[in-house]
Amino acid sequence: MGTIEFEGRPVSFEQGDTIASALYRAGVRTFSRSLKYHRRRGLYCGTGDCPNCLMTVDERPAVHTCTAPCAEGMRIERPGGFPNAERDLLHVTDSLHRVMPVGFYYKTFVRPRFAWPIAERVIRRATGLGALPPTTAATRQVVRHEHVGTLVVGAGIAGLDAARDAGAGGTVLVCDEGRIGHAIAPGTTADRLAELAADVRSLENVAVLEGFTALGIYEGLHVPLAGDGELVHVHPSRVIVATGAVEEHGVFPGNDLPGVMLGRAAAGLAGIHGVRPGERAVVVVRTGEGIDHLRALTAAGVEVVAVAVSTALASRLPSDGVGEIVVDGDVLEARGGSSLRSVALRRDGRGKRFDCDLLVLSLGLSPRDGLARMALPGEPVTLVGDAAGETRHDGRCGHDGTVCLCEDVSIHDLEQAWDEGFRNAEILKRYTTTTMGPCQGAMCGRALACFAASHADGRSHPPEGTDAPRTTARPPTRPVTLESLAAGVHEIVDKRTSLHELHVSAGAQLDRSGGWLRPFSYGDWRGEYRAVRERVSVMDVGTLGKFTIAGPGADELVDRLFPCRTDDLEPGRNRYVLTLDEAGYVMDDGLLGRADEGDWYLTSTSGGAGRMDARLRNLADRLELDAHVLDRTAQWGAINVAGPYARDLLERLTDDPIGAEAVPSRGFADVTVAGVPCRAVRTGFVGELAFELHHPRRRGPGLWRELVDAGREWDLRPHGLDALELLRLEKGHVYLGQDTMPDDTPAKLRMSWAVDMSKPWFVGKQALERMSSLPPSRRQVGLEFSGGPADTAALRGEPLIVRGTVVGRITSAERSIALDRAIGLGWVRTVDGGFPERLETGSGATARVVPTPFYDPKGGRMRG
Amino acid sequence: MAELRVEHPSVVVVLGSREACDAFDVPDGTTPMRIAPGELMLVDAPGVAEVRVPTGSAPWVEDVSDAWVALVLEGVDALDAFARLSELELPVDGWIQGEVVRAAAKVLVAGDRVAILVPAMLATHVEDRIRTDAAEVLDS
Repeated sequence: MGTIEFEGRPVSFEQGDTIASALYRAGVRTFSRSLKYHRRRGLYCGTGDCPNCLMTVDERPAVHTCTAPCAEGMRIERPGGFPNAERDLLHVTDSLHRVMPVGFYYKTFVRPRFAWPIAERVIRRATGLGALPPTTAATRQVVRHEHVGTLVVGAGIAGLDAARDAGAGGTVLVCDEGRIGHAIAPGTTADRLAELAADVRSLENVAVLEGFTALGIYEGLHVPLAGDGELVHVHPSRVIVATGAVEEHGVFPGNDLPGVMLGRAAAGLAGIHGVRPGERAVVVVRTGEGIDHLRALTAAGVEVVAVAVSTALASRLPSDGVGEIVVDGDVLEARGGSSLRSVALRRDGRGKRFDCDLLVLSLGLSPRDGLARMALPGEPVTLVGDAAGETRHDGRCGHDGTVCLCEDVSIHDLEQAWDEGFRNAEILKRYTTTTMGPCQGAMCGRALACFAASHADGRSHPPEGTDAPRTTARPPTRPVTLESLAAGVHEIVDKRTSLHELHVSAGAQLDRSGGWLRPFSYGDWRGEYRAVRERVSVMDVGTLGKFTIAGPGADELVDRLFPCRTDDLEPGRNRYVLTLDEAGYVMDDGLLGRADEGDWYLTSTSGGAGRMDARLRNLADRLELDAHVLDRTAQWGAINVAGPYARDLLERLTDDPIGAEAVPSRGFADVTVAGVPCRAVRTGFVGELAFELHHPRRRGPGLWRELVDAGREWDLRPHGLDALELLRLEKGHVYLGQDTMPDDTPAKLRMSWAVDMSKPWFVGKQALERMSSLPPSRRQVGLEFSGGPADTAALRGEPLIVRGTVVGRITSAERSIALDRAIGLGWVRTVDGGFPERLETGSGATARVVPTPFYDPKGGRMRG
Repeated sequence: MAELRVEHPSVVVVLGSREACDAFDVPDGTTPMRIAPGELMLVDAPGVAEVRVPTGSAPWVEDVSDAWVALVLEGVDALDAFARLSELELPVDGWIQGEVVRAAAKVLVAGDRVAILVPAMLATHVEDRIRTDAAEVLDS
């Protein structure tokens, strides 16, 4: 029907073939090499549970080829093996068990210390499930959310039955990781499944998703389903887990030889794909479906030389064509080289060997209930069908052989770990890595639990029919691609002011700051700096948090929140404010102005607006104040007009008074500028005469253009954050976050002047009172540097050192243009009971503690 | 398919006591969004006058249209498009508030019209994400 490419050679496939069935038909028997000892591994479970058939398909590693359908032109490769999986020289490690004991990575290459990085590199090359293609871009994953009444995971007979019932009472989503019925051989089961599927599909409120794997159950409920190129987040009211059961893994010597196969894999090859899985077979039948598997094999022409059957099922065996029947027989061992050659069965305490190339195991069913075990107690998650069956011991844990196919862990390894003191299932898992591979314990979980339970009470086997505690089930249930994990995750959210397009067209260098996309410079930050200091400039400060606090309780709210006095503020006047938390630590700062009685206007830092909004509302609620908070951050833009000619510029564009009386230093007024209603707020952050024009957002671009046009007379240049960095540093103003520590109090920031401890109550007051008796241990300081690097900014982040001991850190550093000196801010700890005045920086420069502001210390320029 | 439009609706906010908000006279045909006990938001509410200096128990009423942008999905796949943007479970007709592509949003639903009201500074981010994340069901 078509052709795939298997390691460079063409392999034809038939309609309905999986990759594994096509390869098996083509004679491939070694499907992979084991992780540690590079043992040959053949097709084993046929249900996408074990790791044996994992291959790289079209550069995508770790694909379960036993369930992946063939498609024309697919390129398939087996991972691992040197030079290849068929002839693998690394198989020599299978004879080096002594030097690679369980937990060897805790024991070997410890000394000399340089050995481990080398060994690690070698180990990584020798192991693994394939390589990610470094040059292939991740494919986009569609992400969507579904809200349903019932999610049914698994579309077998139990799942579809449950979906049909649930569909009578609400919306239902049924998902299955394959196509419905794709792995069921023709027969009564397949017919029943088709009938149920047709019923379910006919229901209007039931949706079916095929090819989607449930990755886990998260609190909520929330179940992510990963499909090819799509991730569906399902938010159901309840979950029905109908994931069926996995066939039990047999543990005996030689159990991982190619040719040893679980019943469903063998019957699938024979019954669904028309591929004879072997010529001569020994079959172990301990389940009802094992009888069906046996029939499928004989129908496909496989010669069954022996059947080991449980007593209960012996009477149901076909009367002919099944060779020797061994009732209640066990597999003692399987032998072979590159594949199976013989099997020894135990009967009545004696062994008998049978030559064969196929051993088919139908040992029992282990509920695939990991998904349900992830749910929290009380969450509406139920198991149905085989998934609801019990996992109980039949008293057979295996005496030797491979327990964990994924991680190459044998019974011998578990014994050794047990002897070393790892004596329950959870720590055996962590030490030996059993159940931590791609199958996530589907194959080996039960065997590990059985081993731990049987050894716990000193028996060779646990009592038949008892529970064995299993390890904790966690997501993901199946291997998941990085694309699926990352699907829909977008961490970056850029806020933009209304002036964004103008900045772009002006050639601004934009970057992220405080959650906003902001201009850092327009190409010449020093020129922008000079415009502010010498002429006039504008800056987009629409990012600032802006709030109206109004209502009968507004006066009390601001008085309770801010540590400074507020009752003495006249209408039209504003004041610098700190916000403290209950521990007395500085959280934010801003300007608080009284517009009228019960009407306040507050600005906060750009990154702190959300926190300020929440803080104001929370405090109003806690104090039950009739005060209302209107966050105007999105509603109003703001442009800072700064420089000696700022007032001259505004006078060109307004008929309103803008002089020192109308809009005084530490004041604000509502004016109209260029036809735009603005709240003009006097500020001093850059140290020059400055007016922030707060205005309706949509009027921002027009106002900006008018200001820039009118400012040509003074060679106006807009300035960005790079220029602002130096402008504010010269004034000694801190950037909260950059220049402060999370536990900075006003005193540590030398801002005790912003706190009025005579107020009866404000947030953080009690903490400040308690701390007031403690000696100061750290404080923020102004610094001047000498002998430092040519680029003063390189000093940022350097430690401050006294006599070889680090006592502080530089948080800001620049060369002042106005003063032609290297200046900065930082924090220092006390040394010998006092704060040091002279320190050394990490790069050897000298730092001297100096008072701030560095520039215009009396503030005459700022006051205009 | 669904069509995506950017709209600038008129938005009025009413701030007052719980009782004042309860008693506020909402114009016919307007969906009142009670976003907090003391806060009411009205979209496309004709005839609501601003009250910036309230007296007595009257609420503060202000047009805050500049603060909001509506990204409107309309068409048979509008709900499907929205399901690619947020885990919010939409009402059949009504409104809900929560996170849409990591932006705090109010979402108004009327039939196959879903209006996502977001703060203006996030409008470009949300629009870009809608065009990317719901590309398969949007009219080009």
